[in-house]
Order: sequence, then C-alpha cells, then structure tokens
Amino acid sequence: MILTRPIIVRLVLLGLITAILEVSFFSGLRVFGSSPDGALLVVMSLGLLGGSLSGAVAGFGIGFVIDCLLLQTLGATSLSLMAVGYVAGRYREGFGRPTLGATALLGGVLTLLGVVAFAAIQVGLGVDADVSTIVIRDAFVTTIIGAALAPPVLWTVRRLLRPALIEDGPGAGGERRSPGVTPPAAATEPEI
Amino acid sequence: MYRKQVRRRRAVLFALVAVSLTFLSLYFQESSGGPLHRIQRVVATVLSPFEEGASRALKPAQDTVNWFSETFEAKGDNEELRDEVADLRDRLAQAETTLQQRQELEKLVAVTGGVVPPGQETVTGRVIGRSPTVWYSTVTIDQGTSAGVRVDDPVVAADGLAGKVTEATRGTSQVTLITDPNSSVTGRVLPGGSTGIVEPNVGDPRDLTLNFIQRGEEIEEGQLVVTAGFSAGDLGSLFPPGIPIGKVTESSLEEQQAYQRIHLRAFADLRDMDFVQVIVESGK
Repeated sequence: MILTRPIIVRLVLLGLITAILEVSFFSGLRVFGSSPDGALLVVMSLGLLGGSLSGAVAGFGIGFVIDCLLLQTLGATSLSLMAVGYVAGRYREGFGRPTLGATALLGGVLTLLGVVAFAAIQVGLGVDADVSTIVIRDAFVTTIIGAALAPPVLWTVRRLLRPALIEDGPGAGGERRSPGVTPPAAATEPEI
Repeated sequence: MYRKQVRRRRAVLFALVAVSLTFLSLYFQESSGGPLHRIQRVVATVLSPFEEGASRALKPAQDTVNWFSETFEAKGDNEELRDEVADLRDRLAQAETTLQQRQELEKLVAVTGGVVPPGQETVTGRVIGRSPTVWYSTVTIDQGTSAGVRVDDPVVAADGLAGKVTEATRGTSQVTLITDPNSSVTGRVLPGGSTGIVEPNVGDPRDLTLNFIQRGEEIEEGQLVVTAGFSAGDLGSLFPPGIPIGKVTESSLEEQQAYQRIHLRAFADLRDMDFVQVIVESGK
C-alpha cells in the first residue's frame, strides 16, 4: 500500500466510520439472532490489501476506538482485531490476492478467530462464563455471516483505497504482487 | 533492505501487542479517574455526536434489515402472507419504528412512574451504542453528566430493570446491564416476599438466577421478581424497590445446598431496547 497524505486521511476516516458503525449499526442488526462483525471484516480487508503490518495497525486502531466508544476495557478489542489483521496480512503475503471463494472462506475463518480470541481475552481477564450453547451458536452464526459479507466488504474497501494499492495502481499492469517491497524474496520470506 | 523491513515490521507488531497488554493491565489497576479512563472518556465524548447521528440516521435501515431477518425466521409459519408482507415492508418498517419507539417510551414512563423515590427524577436516554459481543453486557446511551447522570444511577427499560450506570462522560454514559457478569441486584419474589440476589447466567442474555433464597420457601413458576431496594441506615440498595426484574421460570432445590436457586426470565428485552430511563437525583 502506498501511503500518501490523502490515503492516510482516507484510512483514518475509514477506521473511525467503521468503529462508529460497529457500535451504532452492526451491533443492533439481528441476523438469525446474532450480529455481523463489520469492524472485523474491514480489518481483514485492510490486512488482505496492505499486508500484515497494515492489518495489525488497523486492528489496533479500530479496536481502540471501539473500546473507547463502548467505555469498556481498553486493549481487549485491539488485541483480537490485531490478530485478525495480522493473519489476513500474512495470508496475502504468502498466497497473493485472494479469489472470491478464498475471501469468503477467510471471512469465516477470521471471524471465528476474532470471536475465539476475544473470548480467550475475556476469560483471561477473569470473566467467569460457561461455554453455553448460546455462545457456540452465536459464534457459528457470526462466522457464517462473516463468510457471506467478506467479499462485498473487501470489494468496498478496495474501491476506497484503490489509488494506494500496488496491484491496482497505474503502471502495475495487473501484475500480481504481494504488498510491500518483497517480490524477489517472497518465496523464501521468513515467518515473523 | 528486506531484512530491515522485516525487523521494522516485527518491532511495530511487538510494540502494538505490548501497548495493548499495557492498556489491559493499567486499565484494571487504575481508578476511574486515571489517565486511560480520561483518554477513553475524551475520545467517547468527541465521537459521541457522530455515534448518535449514525444511530438515528441508520435506525430505519437497521429496522429494515431486522425486519427481513425476523420475517425470514418466521417464513415457515407465514408462507401464504409473503407477497402481501413484501408489498407493505417499506411502510411497515417506518411505521413500526415510530410505533415501537412511542410504545417503549410510554411503557418506560409507566414502569418508573410509581417507583421513583422522592428527591429523584428520571432522565430518558436513547441507546446509541451496544457491545457487539455476548461477553460485555453494556450499552451506551446519549445522556451523560450534563443531564445529571452519575455513576451507579439505576437504569430502567420499557419492561423492567435494565442495569446501572458504570461510566459517564459529559454527553454519554455506559450502562452495565443486569446480564453482565459483574451485576447483582437484591430481588424480592411476589407474592410471598422472599428475597435473594439476582445474578446473570453469563452467555444466556435473558436467563437470570435468584440465589440465596432460604430453603422451604415455596416459589412457583410464573411468580414475579422485583427489586427489593433494602435500606439499613446509611447503607442501601442502589435500586429503588418495586422495579420489575423478571418472572420465575424454574425453581431448583438441591439436597446439598442450604439455599434455593431460582431461574428467571428478564422482562426487559435488553438486546433490542431503544430507550431507557435513568433515575437521577433531582436538581443535579
């Protein structure tokens, strides 16, 4: 991702709008009794478009604003969204631009990862909760919704950030490249 | 060049993880007046107008999506009405939004009308933010310290007790619901008058338990539970007496336990409420 001043402004606005919509819109939607996690899908999209570092930074920032808006424990949402953004970015760096099917699959898997990571943090913080059928059902439905919404969310975020994207930018010629300056070493890139 | 990039990436990632863990740790250690809480309140205050605007502007869209969802769930029972319902959906979504809000407000006034103690009054707040997970049972409302709302003020929804205020900024407040793991309320069973502590069953947002009911006190399914609102000298419950909490759904008596445990279903639909009333001290 090429970071120019207008693109940074777009990213900041995208993050703020995502966080506001997450707490005021997405959390109030009821689809089969569960709510879609829009913020998680936006973070995943930023990871898939910009790489692991972009994904992690986006996850941290959006999570921080969500925690502030909900006046809840600072750091919990940041950590779980950071994990989602990082894993999405690593996928992009390892396998390139995802296909439609892969995007949906990633949407489901990363939603489940986000839900499990958030639950693990809550248990770590001392929330004494049983893994009830409602929690499992909620995680399952949220995962399915995440898989269904991932392609349109990725498409939307890609449209918003198109000028900054290496594979979509002018002169790239449609060449499939990983984000960042890594093409020659991509095959032997060490795990971080 | 590449190694330098990897090193930089690692450094940023470790820094972000370290900052998050530091936030988590410090947030628990510091008081509500600590620097992290202050930063959080500033961010929440600055963004709350946008949050409220988004909540109001997107409410019709939200209701429309929810309407589709609810209709889909009921599709099996209403197959023959599908065409007719589809024709009416737009008008219905708008009408339902208005009607639901009006009914909720009327019920709110009815619930709090008889239970507000002397020297206190109610402030009506709109729910503008909700925790999107089942782990945090909190909502954010559009009334804060400027409207007289303070931490620990009781909050009532249209059908019964909702929770209490746990954080307050100038324009918004966080309400921790009675389904939150940290919540407990003294409840009284009616009729009969047995008292116990109402606690949540975490992970099942509408199931509550009433604990520490003496063995031998007969409690039947369908009995009402309201706030007990005890008072002993300077010590008293945060909640005034008589606010409906829920209805008894199951009573269990285990041989080894000295107390009975009663399951309740909360009256208030805490996941879908749009308005609440905060009971505040008059003249604040």
